[in-house]
Amino acid sequence: MKQIIEKIRGLRKKKQNTMFITGCVITGVILLLTLIGFIHTPYEPDQMDAANKLAGISWQHLMGCDNFGRDIFSRVLKGCGTTLVVAGGTVLIGTVFGILIGAFTGYFGGLLDEVLMRIMDALFAFPSLLLALVFVSLFGKGKYHVIIALGIAFIPSFSRIVRSEYMRCRDLDYVKSASLAGASHLRIMFVHILPNIRTVLVSSVMIGFNNAVLAEAGLTYLGIGVQPPDASLGEMLSSAQTYLFSAPWYAFGTGLMIILMILGFSLMAEGMKKHTA
Amino acid sequence: MLLEVKNLSIEFHDHLIPETVVSGVNLELSEGQILGIVGESGSGKSMTAHAIAGLLSRHDMKKTGEILFEGQDLLTCPRAKLREIQGNEISVIFQEPMTSLNPVKKIGWQVGETLRIHTQLDKAQIKARVLEMLEKVELDDPEKVYNQYPHELSGGMRQRVMIASAMICKPKILIADEPTTALDVTIQAQIVKLLQRINRKEKTAILFISHDLSLVKTLCEQVIVMQHGRIVESGLSEEIFNHPREDYTRLLVSAIPGCERGKRMQEKL
Repeated sequence: MKQIIEKIRGLRKKKQNTMFITGCVITGVILLLTLIGFIHTPYEPDQMDAANKLAGISWQHLMGCDNFGRDIFSRVLKGCGTTLVVAGGTVLIGTVFGILIGAFTGYFGGLLDEVLMRIMDALFAFPSLLLALVFVSLFGKGKYHVIIALGIAFIPSFSRIVRSEYMRCRDLDYVKSASLAGASHLRIMFVHILPNIRTVLVSSVMIGFNNAVLAEAGLTYLGIGVQPPDASLGEMLSSAQTYLFSAPWYAFGTGLMIILMILGFSLMAEGMKKHTA
Repeated sequence: MLLEVKNLSIEFHDHLIPETVVSGVNLELSEGQILGIVGESGSGKSMTAHAIAGLLSRHDMKKTGEILFEGQDLLTCPRAKLREIQGNEISVIFQEPMTSLNPVKKIGWQVGETLRIHTQLDKAQIKARVLEMLEKVELDDPEKVYNQYPHELSGGMRQRVMIASAMICKPKILIADEPTTALDVTIQAQIVKLLQRINRKEKTAILFISHDLSLVKTLCEQVIVMQHGRIVESGLSEEIFNHPREDYTRLLVSAIPGCERGKRMQEKL
């Protein structure tokens, strides 16, 4: 009973955090739309219809139609899924390797730190888009290659954040106590220290997610990301550019979706930061 | 002899000129004994304790001499062997109870950590032992404390928790590195009494490091006085406090605030 009361109290505290709540709502709506997109879309996302070429916004086509007469709303639903998968995969690769590298370099320091961090510096010096470009041109286009390429490009920034947190934590008394209790290095690193840096991790994952959405959109915009007819927000935005004046709703619908996605996650990250501060 | 430190020296090599923080320290600790190390800040008393606990594993540090625990040299033994001893045979309580507990873990989990590392007990057994231990260190409501986080406890309670987690594996040596410095005087007395009781009941040898001479005087049988990383004087507590041989010890002893003025006031009344 006590625990339930405490939980409700905690939620109420969170409710005062309007930033977090707004972010959650927006992200929730986006996730819901994505989920719907996987199950059902009003029209077949790839179905062309010559009669409705660049048709405007109407009740039949909530966001209008694109240059092939495909329903933009249906494609946006589908594209959200693709974008989320790519961004999620990117962040996953970035975080997992980032945490591993950051933990080892930050905790042990010394030669290992020097070598690994210089490699990370080299990776960091490359603009992430350029790195992804090189990777894609070496291994070919496609959704999964984009995930790997962006994921690798995201590792340095994560590992830097994690490293600095581990450096801060490794000399604290509770880490000393743990090591004096006979805990192994691995146990100290991942059982004792990792839970302590989760707040930093969560907000940097959120920010990383935003960057990944933008990077995916950017890559696809350049024509090396997700390939047509696979719908993705970036791909759609890049083709919308051609019709910016004749059919502005094309860019409007897709752009709005990207903006909302980023806004939702940013607000959540900011809110979380405020909540913990 | 439980613990023998022979000619221990510690040097820092992180600057251009190596800095000696401990030089030629010898000490002996037998079972059930309470040994006090006193000295001003920077006299090397904490460094000696940390070295015994096996905490100084930095690369830029040079340690020479021997630290023999039951005949095993802790300075040269492999890390796996050292880890077996740490927590199980030698435990440490730190000065600052505010920071020596992990802020995101529950008390019960932290106290049981040593057991989880050194024994194969299952969850229920560990919980039972933890609760028993929390009761032993005289915490009022062990069940409640078990599920609390460090920030919910007061300084004195946290230091009790630290003692509980240090003592849970029934170690042979407890190193108390200024365990009462961060606490107020009434709590200090309680903690010291608790340590005394543990020493009597469990026959744990205690290495008590402090710059509070009056505490050391009441708690320890043997005392070592350190200055500038060297041992100035060592011997029975009574001897040292009543008949100090060295100038430095005399200076330290004379710095103990006495009750002389209070007594005079009483006489006047």
